[in-house]
Amino acid sequence: MYYRVLQIKYFKPRTLEEAIELLTKVRNSRVLAGGTDLLVDLKTGRVSAEALVDVGAIRELRGIEDLGDRIRIGAATKLQELVESDVIARELPLLRKAVESMGSWQIRNLATVGGNLCNASPAADTAPPLLAYEAELIIVGPRGTRVVPVTKFFTSYRRVALEEGEILKEIVVRKSTWSGWSYIKLGRRSGFTLSIVSVAVLASTRGEVLEDVRIALGSVAPTPIRAYKAEEYLRGREVGLGVLERAAEIAKEEVSPIDDVRASAWYRREMVYRLTLDALKTSLRWS
Amino acid sequence: MSEDPRTIIQRWLSAEGYIVVGRSVERADSLDKALGLAKFVEDFFEEGYLLARVAISRVPHARILNIDTEPALRIPGILKVLTYLDVPGENQVGYAIPDQPLLAEGKVRYFGEPLAIVVGRDPDALARAVEEVRPRYEPLPALLDPLEAMERTDVLVHEEFGSNVAFRTRVRKGNVEEGFSKADVVVENTYRTHHQEHLYLEPEAALAIPDLENRVTVLATIQYPHLGQKIIAKVLGLPAGMVKVVAPYIGGGFGGKDDEGPLVAARAALAAYHLRRPVLLFYTREDSIQIHPKREATVIRYKSGATRDGKLMAIDVTIIHDTGAYANRGPFILWRATMHASGPYVVPHAKIDGYCVYTNKVPQGSFRGFGNPSIQFAAEAQMDLLAEELGMDPVEFRLLNMLRPGSTTLTDQVLTSSVGVHEALRKLADYSGWWVKRRQYRVERTGRFRRGIGVAVAWHGNSTSRAVPDWSNAYMQVARDGSVVVYTGIVEMGQGSPSSSHRQIVAEVLGCPLEKVKIVFGTTEAPDAGATHASRGTSVGAIGILVAAGRIRSRLESFLSEYFNVPLEGIQIRDGKVYVRGEPKMSWEELVTLAYSRGVDLSSTGYFFLPKGTFQEDIGRGFAYPAYSFIAVVTEVEVDTYTGRVRVLRVYPALAAGRIINPEAVKTQIEGAVIQGLGYTLMERLIFDHNGRIVNDNLTDYVIPTSLDVPEIEETIFVEDLWEYGPLGAKGVGEMALIPMPASIANAVSHAIGIRVTELPLTPEKVYSLVKHLER
Repeated sequence: MYYRVLQIKYFKPRTLEEAIELLTKVRNSRVLAGGTDLLVDLKTGRVSAEALVDVGAIRELRGIEDLGDRIRIGAATKLQELVESDVIARELPLLRKAVESMGSWQIRNLATVGGNLCNASPAADTAPPLLAYEAELIIVGPRGTRVVPVTKFFTSYRRVALEEGEILKEIVVRKSTWSGWSYIKLGRRSGFTLSIVSVAVLASTRGEVLEDVRIALGSVAPTPIRAYKAEEYLRGREVGLGVLERAAEIAKEEVSPIDDVRASAWYRREMVYRLTLDALKTSLRWS
Repeated sequence: MSEDPRTIIQRWLSAEGYIVVGRSVERADSLDKALGLAKFVEDFFEEGYLLARVAISRVPHARILNIDTEPALRIPGILKVLTYLDVPGENQVGYAIPDQPLLAEGKVRYFGEPLAIVVGRDPDALARAVEEVRPRYEPLPALLDPLEAMERTDVLVHEEFGSNVAFRTRVRKGNVEEGFSKADVVVENTYRTHHQEHLYLEPEAALAIPDLENRVTVLATIQYPHLGQKIIAKVLGLPAGMVKVVAPYIGGGFGGKDDEGPLVAARAALAAYHLRRPVLLFYTREDSIQIHPKREATVIRYKSGATRDGKLMAIDVTIIHDTGAYANRGPFILWRATMHASGPYVVPHAKIDGYCVYTNKVPQGSFRGFGNPSIQFAAEAQMDLLAEELGMDPVEFRLLNMLRPGSTTLTDQVLTSSVGVHEALRKLADYSGWWVKRRQYRVERTGRFRRGIGVAVAWHGNSTSRAVPDWSNAYMQVARDGSVVVYTGIVEMGQGSPSSSHRQIVAEVLGCPLEKVKIVFGTTEAPDAGATHASRGTSVGAIGILVAAGRIRSRLESFLSEYFNVPLEGIQIRDGKVYVRGEPKMSWEELVTLAYSRGVDLSSTGYFFLPKGTFQEDIGRGFAYPAYSFIAVVTEVEVDTYTGRVRVLRVYPALAAGRIINPEAVKTQIEGAVIQGLGYTLMERLIFDHNGRIVNDNLTDYVIPTSLDVPEIEETIFVEDLWEYGPLGAKGVGEMALIPMPASIANAVSHAIGIRVTELPLTPEKVYSLVKHLER
């Protein structure tokens, strides 16, 4: 009652086509999904918009499907639906683990996976697992449909590769077998908190050799990132403590954190080393 | 029978067996709160009332050249902008020192200082208007560090005082040089503690309704309605009788609404006075965090010495409090820190110097523990360090020096009774498995996760300090149907005294059924019973209730004795029934009907003025407090040395706070205080920028514990060391468990990592850097 009441145009289209048309025609309009970030930002003035296009009623943006060789997640799927989905639990355990730690139950029942990605916070918790899975993002807009790998989606601080009128429609993850995974989030308290550092690791081994590995990091750069150099160093190597430590060391060099109210850049770098090492060990069941 | 308060207090202190007292009866407010029916200030807002907000300073230190209210007034929906020029009475509202204006006048001294009140119809317009109040300033250099501010006289927060030291305290006992010369071990350290935000669920608000009962009525988030009344009257230039203040249910206070409550009430009253219409003045969460005073931030230098056989000989302590822009209650907070500086121990030689220092930051204020958590943090670290130097166990060393009945305190006050701390700690050590765990965890101190166990003991004086007057009072009336209405100025802010212990005491003393008792709380229509702060809602607040009930009880007994022609000893009233020589004769309701028809006065007051001694302020010697509550807490932690993350696993409390009137209510206070203390120690911190602005003024970036951070809080050991003037012997509880938490956790962390912690908060980053430093 007492905070600024939003004076804003509001549209709730039923179809994707309608939504795209609105976004193209209505001046200074933005997509409203769960609103857990956007509405707060509009109230505090961090974001400005004259119109909101609520995509909550567009059925094709919802749902989780196992399509045999790949998993499809509608962009407006609620985070709590991901947590409760058997498909996600079975096929994308890394994503499930990350989403479980996000917000509160109330927040997870409003917030969407697409909203979390498009809001493009460096601390977006769905980003590291999806970066590790190398998800593909299906984007629709006035000029049709295009596919952008999530690894190319975050262009700079709080910016994503969406053109005017475009909407993130769905997230597609191709199935692949990983022998191990690990997700670690370090925050200022045990739950319902923004991360200081988060790490997502997928690993696949043959014998003692690391065939493939993916390392994604949150809150340690202007965008969520992959630690490509560390991955490259590890690929094809025999697992050993020295090797893992070296990889964590390389990851630490790949990040560019800042000092903020949550932690210092120094501590974040230290934690990239510690948590990457830890996540690698867990993924490899190595101790 | 006697109407004398002391006789009544004595009779009920030593009564044999209680019916209602000592039982965990359900609170009167729990169902309404669970159902959302309980009303808080904002719930009394009605269509057509006006709204108001406070425009704040956005610079830390400047001279005000003028305040142009025109831009704000041009916003549609804004009706009035009030500045200090609109105060009809006095603008001066400082509690301890006359240094604080209700609305900035002459200068602004911190980012967040209230400048003006904007009044209007809708919250949107108000949100814009508070941004548009932008005075013309002559900027002045800002002092943000108290150590720097102490030294400087070229920049003064208050020019009129000639120094940035707002207040000093002193204790001189024995001869410290001699004490240290006799000591075999001496340890010395500098400790630092930080601000804490109260973060009550309900931010500040006040609804002022002019002309109701031909006066101004103010509903406010306030811990002392009578103080609000006094300040409103002063600001408006009216007699206090023209002002009525009511505190409905309050969504948490913790001291913050003791400082800010009367000021919020006065600002709302000022707006209603000018607009002649009801006005609801409210703080947003950001307003609340920027404006209201915080827990003390301190620098404490502490030197202590002991003999080889474990006797504490001398302490030399310097306490520096960053009091911010205004003294507020800083001098009282500093006095409390000073007089508790030794911890609950006997020390023959002591020198304590306290400094309350102005800076251009948010003022220091009242917060659960009131200057005590920080000084106990330092004192209890020193006790651990001395024990280590002596090769003694920390509990053993503490027990050797602990206060007992007959001991002399730091201020040379002799404690004749109600000193149960020795017993509490002894029992606690066994109960928590201290003796085994303390050795075991040290041996196991390897690997990534390291466990530690720490102890801290604290004392907390009940009532106001020194000879500062303190009293209790209440008004009571038994209606013809046997229901009982009690009026008290004590408020209900979640702590539960009016909703549980007050009712229990009335039912116990009158002998009436519990459900007959209604407590009307938090109103200036009741007698002034003092503030609901300093853990006094029951310990002092209920004395008046006990006395008022005791008076009616003795009148009823005298009447019955005459009526049945039996000696007084033959009359019993208990649990809603009258017994004569053990025979049930009538119900409570029948007794009341009879008493009404036979001319027995069933209304009473219960004024009681607490007896106090004398205190020499220049050397800090004499009567400090009428009684002390004590608590000991053992904490077990696990430190992740890879990340620096501290997990508190288990907390074991032992409380010596006199009679426990409602064990469940006490338990909730202990649990709440443990969690609030844990948050303060591990994660809560306010971050100031170079302008003294609080950067994290929201719930995203000011983090407090959630249920996932809460440890196992074991059942509390109660040592019922009765206080002679307490209601049925009760002492204060509300603040107790918070006070030793920083020390207890820090001592456990120090034990786990083998490094002494001297600075709070123990964020993962802080602990990690300590561990990292050790590894090098």
